[in-house]
Amino acid sequence: MRRVLPEWSLSLKANLRPTDPPAASGGGVVSGCGFPTPWARARSGRGERCQRRSRMRASPGPQRPWGWAEPQPPVLVAAAAAGARAAASAPARRCFLGRRYAGERGSRRWRRHQGAQALLRVVRAPRGEQLLCEASTVLKYVQEDSCQRGIYGKLVCTDFKIAFLGDDDSALDNDETQFKNKVIGENDITLHCVDQIYGVFDEKKKTLFGQLKKYPEKLIIHCKDLRVFHFCLRYTKEEEVKRIVSGIIHHTQAPKLLKRLFLFSYAAAAQNHAATDPRNHTVMFDTLKDWCWELERTKGSVKYKAVSVNEGYKVCERLPAYFVVPTPLPEEDLSRFQGHGIPLWCWSCHNGCALLKMSALPKKEQDDGLSQMQKSFLDGIYKTIHRPPYEIVKTEDLSSNFLSLQDIQTAYSKFKQLFLIDNSTEFWDTDIKWFSLLESSSWLDIIRRCLKKAIEITECLEAQNVNVLLLEENASDLCCLVSSLVQVMMDPHCRTRIGFQSLVQKEWIMGGHSFLDRCNHLRQSDKEEVPVFLLFLDCVWQLVHQHPPAFDFTETYLTVLSDSLYIPIFSTFFFNSPHQKDNVGRESQDTQSKPLNLLTVWDWSVQFEPKAQMLLKNPLYVEKPKLDKGQRKGTRFKHQRQLSLPLTQSKSSPKRGFFREETDHLIKNLLGKRISKLINSSDELHDNFREFYDSWHSKPTDYHGLLLPHIEGPEIKVWAQRYLRWIPEAQILGGGRAATVSKLLEMMEEVERLQEKIDARPHGQGALLAEAPLLLRGSARLSALFPFALLQRHPSKPVLPTSGWKALGDEEDLAKREDEFVDLGDV
Amino acid sequence: MWWGGRGQSFNIAPQKEEPEMGCVQRTGMLEPRSRQLDGHVASGCLPGEQILAWAPGVRKGLEPELPGTLICTNLRVTFQPCGWQRSQETPLSSEYDFALVNIGRLEAVSGLSRVQLLRPGSPLKFIPEEILIHGRDFRLLRVAFEAGGLEPQAFQVTMAIVQARAQNSQVQQYAGIPLSKAGQSSGSRKPPVPLLETSEDWEAERKKQGARGWRVSTVNERFDIATSLPRYFWVPKRTLDSEVRRAFGHFHQGRGPRLSWHHPGGSDLLRCGGFYTASDPNKEDIRAVESMLQAGHSDVVLVDTVDELPSLADVQLAHLRLRALCLPDSSAAEEKWLSALEGTRWLDYVRSCLRKASDISVLVTSRVRSVVLQERGDRDFNGLLSSLVQLLSVPEARTLLGFQSLVQREWVAAGHPFLTRLGVTGASEEAPVFLLFLDCVWQLLQQFPAEFEFSEFFLLALHDSARVPDTLTFLRDTPWERGKQGGQFNSYTQIYNPGYCQPPAGNSVNSQLSVWDWDLRYNSEQILQFHNPGYDPEHCPDSWLPRQQPSFMVPGPPSSVWLFSRGALTPLNQLCPWRDNPSLLAVSSRWLPRAAISSESLADQEWGLPSHWGACPLPPGLLLPGYLGPQIRLWRRCYLRGRPEVQKGLSAPTISGLQDELSHLQELLRKWTPRISPEDHSKKRDPNTILNPAEITVFFMGMAEGGPE
Repeated sequence: MRRVLPEWSLSLKANLRPTDPPAASGGGVVSGCGFPTPWARARSGRGERCQRRSRMRASPGPQRPWGWAEPQPPVLVAAAAAGARAAASAPARRCFLGRRYAGERGSRRWRRHQGAQALLRVVRAPRGEQLLCEASTVLKYVQEDSCQRGIYGKLVCTDFKIAFLGDDDSALDNDETQFKNKVIGENDITLHCVDQIYGVFDEKKKTLFGQLKKYPEKLIIHCKDLRVFHFCLRYTKEEEVKRIVSGIIHHTQAPKLLKRLFLFSYAAAAQNHAATDPRNHTVMFDTLKDWCWELERTKGSVKYKAVSVNEGYKVCERLPAYFVVPTPLPEEDLSRFQGHGIPLWCWSCHNGCALLKMSALPKKEQDDGLSQMQKSFLDGIYKTIHRPPYEIVKTEDLSSNFLSLQDIQTAYSKFKQLFLIDNSTEFWDTDIKWFSLLESSSWLDIIRRCLKKAIEITECLEAQNVNVLLLEENASDLCCLVSSLVQVMMDPHCRTRIGFQSLVQKEWIMGGHSFLDRCNHLRQSDKEEVPVFLLFLDCVWQLVHQHPPAFDFTETYLTVLSDSLYIPIFSTFFFNSPHQKDNVGRESQDTQSKPLNLLTVWDWSVQFEPKAQMLLKNPLYVEKPKLDKGQRKGTRFKHQRQLSLPLTQSKSSPKRGFFREETDHLIKNLLGKRISKLINSSDELHDNFREFYDSWHSKPTDYHGLLLPHIEGPEIKVWAQRYLRWIPEAQILGGGRAATVSKLLEMMEEVERLQEKIDARPHGQGALLAEAPLLLRGSARLSALFPFALLQRHPSKPVLPTSGWKALGDEEDLAKREDEFVDLGDV
Repeated sequence: MWWGGRGQSFNIAPQKEEPEMGCVQRTGMLEPRSRQLDGHVASGCLPGEQILAWAPGVRKGLEPELPGTLICTNLRVTFQPCGWQRSQETPLSSEYDFALVNIGRLEAVSGLSRVQLLRPGSPLKFIPEEILIHGRDFRLLRVAFEAGGLEPQAFQVTMAIVQARAQNSQVQQYAGIPLSKAGQSSGSRKPPVPLLETSEDWEAERKKQGARGWRVSTVNERFDIATSLPRYFWVPKRTLDSEVRRAFGHFHQGRGPRLSWHHPGGSDLLRCGGFYTASDPNKEDIRAVESMLQAGHSDVVLVDTVDELPSLADVQLAHLRLRALCLPDSSAAEEKWLSALEGTRWLDYVRSCLRKASDISVLVTSRVRSVVLQERGDRDFNGLLSSLVQLLSVPEARTLLGFQSLVQREWVAAGHPFLTRLGVTGASEEAPVFLLFLDCVWQLLQQFPAEFEFSEFFLLALHDSARVPDTLTFLRDTPWERGKQGGQFNSYTQIYNPGYCQPPAGNSVNSQLSVWDWDLRYNSEQILQFHNPGYDPEHCPDSWLPRQQPSFMVPGPPSSVWLFSRGALTPLNQLCPWRDNPSLLAVSSRWLPRAAISSESLADQEWGLPSHWGACPLPPGLLLPGYLGPQIRLWRRCYLRGRPEVQKGLSAPTISGLQDELSHLQELLRKWTPRISPEDHSKKRDPNTILNPAEITVFFMGMAEGGPE
């Protein structure tokens, strides 16, 4: 078939020299002429640049097997730095990795290992990473605005990630590298981030798993952070295809042992690495002191005590080493049912009511004696906690009449399919039915139900003065979700970044949420894989989206946090319980007694440069006005903003306890349990809820008080930044939130400057804020998906299909037409 | 501090005027009020307005609840809060006004029963405790009546509304707005929106656009070519008036090709009606038509406007469904909300308009050519598309003044039949195309928050004004009727002296007022909110405009003629349908299938932009909107106004809060200036620090006026 090419491809052709076989050099962008499909396209300017590079590369000689065998200009900007770091810690690495091949020095395998090390240095790999398999001349499809092209490069699979090393990488301009993740590059997929792998055999797409008989010509990788990668293996050597495909499938899909997690090799290799302050002021809740501090902070220490019964996990492996229980609870009760049936304290409200959680006792129908025992035990427990000063307790059974994990799983797997898009055709197909598809996934409805449940519980605590006890089988899934949501809504401290991180530590990490199973990090059971934590983040996002000034962090923070779930160098999300973390860590270190230095995700400097970290912080967050003047001075150094306007209209906390009446208290004490039963009747509950919800929303919002989300139909939205960020069609140039944010930062800077002038004394404070606009100002038009879509920015252009080209005539005519083209650009 | 948009159109805290006074009034005047109306209530009436009935009540549903009086007159239903006086400054202030035609639904509530009135044969059988007035502009007024011997009044006022609404099928214009005020306001308007009723306006506008190859034609000065056309319009310089007259006769309703807008890059956007296929033009006529369509360009693209856009009936149906969905008691369950919204198809239509506009703006910017929008009537979607294209393509159209003159030119002057389309006449051809356009603009505003000088509130004000019969702007179907009413051509002798426009005598005073006299309806605080605090004028550098092309007019026939339809360009053999194949255009677009957008075919058919755009592919100033499902959103502040629970805390206070803070700080600094050294003072006056919206406007208008000729 004869094809008529648009103007730019003509100019591209003109630049092509016959001596330049496009595929031979293994670098550069390939023009479409030699291929049956026309995806390999480039704008002429870019094409020229690439051509130049490929010529340069091609000059030393014919095909080389590997780029790293020779001195090579660093592919990535930071390679030099990585090299320097590598040199500094060289002894450490040698003792870990070098040992393995020490005996066979000089052998082929050893040489290969050395080569791999050199390659990894270039890839900017974390320490301890090993190359497992690789393939060269792989073509990565780049989809940009409905026209596709390809980049040649190597596909490597290490024990940490799958990485594509394109030859085009250095083309990034400065601006775009600023929000780069230091650990995971643009073309890196950690092994845990891989969701599904598909192969294309003769235009048919099939899921790949297990042993393969036939190897695909195209590999499609769906990631858990919703990226989609297409790799074309048609020009790769056959044995390399076999190696890389089976390697990738094996390492991402076969069940793994916990001790084989990359986490440990990384930690071992990074042993001598001078750790930056890992705590980052986040309360980790791994000491008794932390729990006591939290009790003090929430003024819960009157009725609750922190206990250390479980030190060394003697009582129960599910529970953290330290936790908080009601003061009168006898210690022997704690160990009775391995921690089941004990009310654990989560948080205390300002009025003294507490949020508790309890894992249900295991049900054993056949054993009458045991169930009798359980019953009396539970009665005892309830008696203890129903006694004054605890007043009444409302039990909220999350495992019976609330969401099931199964619901969440199915909803999310439907929902994510809306965003895992192989090509734009698929996108356009689904686009017409967008809302009904969205609704049929019922993910948004699940979010609504979670928020609603959290509001109900908030109402009990805030308006009815009732303690709430959350009950769930293991108290480690929906309990974590609901209790942390309630805290985010009720406790302004949890809306600061430190507070939020501490909350995640307290409720999720120490609360024993089984991240390992729920994220299916070990690929042991797909059934257990339920995105509960992601659901929580999505609920928080709704709150952030609806009340931006109330939060110290931005949606970008939530997005990168959700990405961090799959980066196996942080210990935070890679264990099922604190017990597992403490023990397995020790086990894997066969002889050495030194505990492993595991990184926590809260140390954001591991992933982001300080400049990029600025995007995690909400510039509009206004610190709570403090009355004490001395304190105010101190806080100004925290780089937090304070309003310069007098806060006249907002009283200290207008919403606090506006429901409470003095008589309420009395009546409830008198009627006790009977009322609590009555409250459980659903009608009244609904009315209470409605009244509470409506009356809160009809008052002006105090961002440092109680915060309720809107849960009406039109109010629950799609977290566009997380879910749409990799879809090039979804970006709006020069628009979206990014435009608002850059304007805001500019104004903030202005305010800062003026404030400084008014204060008439120099402040160190302006420095941090002033840099932010620079980051955004670099280009006049940011993508709406900033900071994630930058890399797809430049090629975007309006595309208009013409069915007329074919009928138009020959190329000469086109060329002539180009001559009469009126120049718009260089005026 | 923030109050959220409590279901009102503005983010202004409902202030209690003189709280003590109001209180006294309330306690002291409750008794007398029950017998006779306060003087000030009556004083709020317009000339010729008669109060039919009234009853004291409490405005409910929003916080705070306001006590006041519900009044039904022969023109409107209005609620007057207690102690509130219709200000002389803003005689038409319409926060609680409902023009009778605007009432879409009326419900009376007593206990648990709820009766819908306004239906034939639905008499009110009980005394209402509460009355709900649903406006067709999505507003809702809930008034609860006071008990205590006043029930008959509640009954009376309800019945009065029902009757007045029934009798008032034809729109009645508010007459006799105090002219003193009007004259004063028009004098104080800084840069007035050109109403395009004189040839000077057209000439000035043409110069502003830099359309050198065009001239103002006076051929329709007496409206004898078409009453729906404006008196003046732009035609190619070389075309004689006789040719214009001849060519226009071969178009539907005489709406021949006119320049709609000249792109600074050289392209021209034209609009015209459908070819009048029954006519049998001779050779010269065809040549005239062709040269007008070609407009001197070698490349002509005919755009089939209605293709892929909804029909008028579709738009109307979608709007009705949307209104039903947005009622407070809408039956859609929360978890079914999204599919119900999808079922209205309103957003779908918004999306297709945006998509088409974005395609056309690429056509206009990518090459120098003449792009002709062709719609049979040339009065609905042509205006919508041409305005959207201009909004997308040039920053000037995105300023407050620019947008107003855009609407005035492409909608009002171009003869969009507002009266019929908004359903005021009760005719069957109701279709709120203009509201669809406002929704599209709102989407753009959402997507590009820093690119527009006006805010959502301005769009809301415009949206609401379309239903208020106070000025002629939206009250007539054609420029001819508007001119007739305004008394512009009492004597035909004037036409030979176009420079002399005699101000009409005081008989019809509103004629001079247009919808752009915002200060009649909104107070200064509200008008301040018309400005988008996030507007960043730095985003539109003024130097990007390219030079005029030296060889502008290309003689000879066009070298390529295309038909743009189904999202693709197809070559046409000829421009006019009459030569060989009489109804080419009428047929062709219908059977062309939409090109399947697979990546392969797209890449195949890719329309290359000039290669030198290189790394920065978009010409500065051109916006490409997103029109994917997730990007098209519901204009909640407008459509969900009747559901206060959805309205709260709608937009983040952040930018306006910061704005307040900035002005506060600047004020402080200003006070301190004597103490600050002179350099500091000069720094303060740095143009960058001027963030006061009003100042920006002035600054900007100065730029626009002094812009390229």
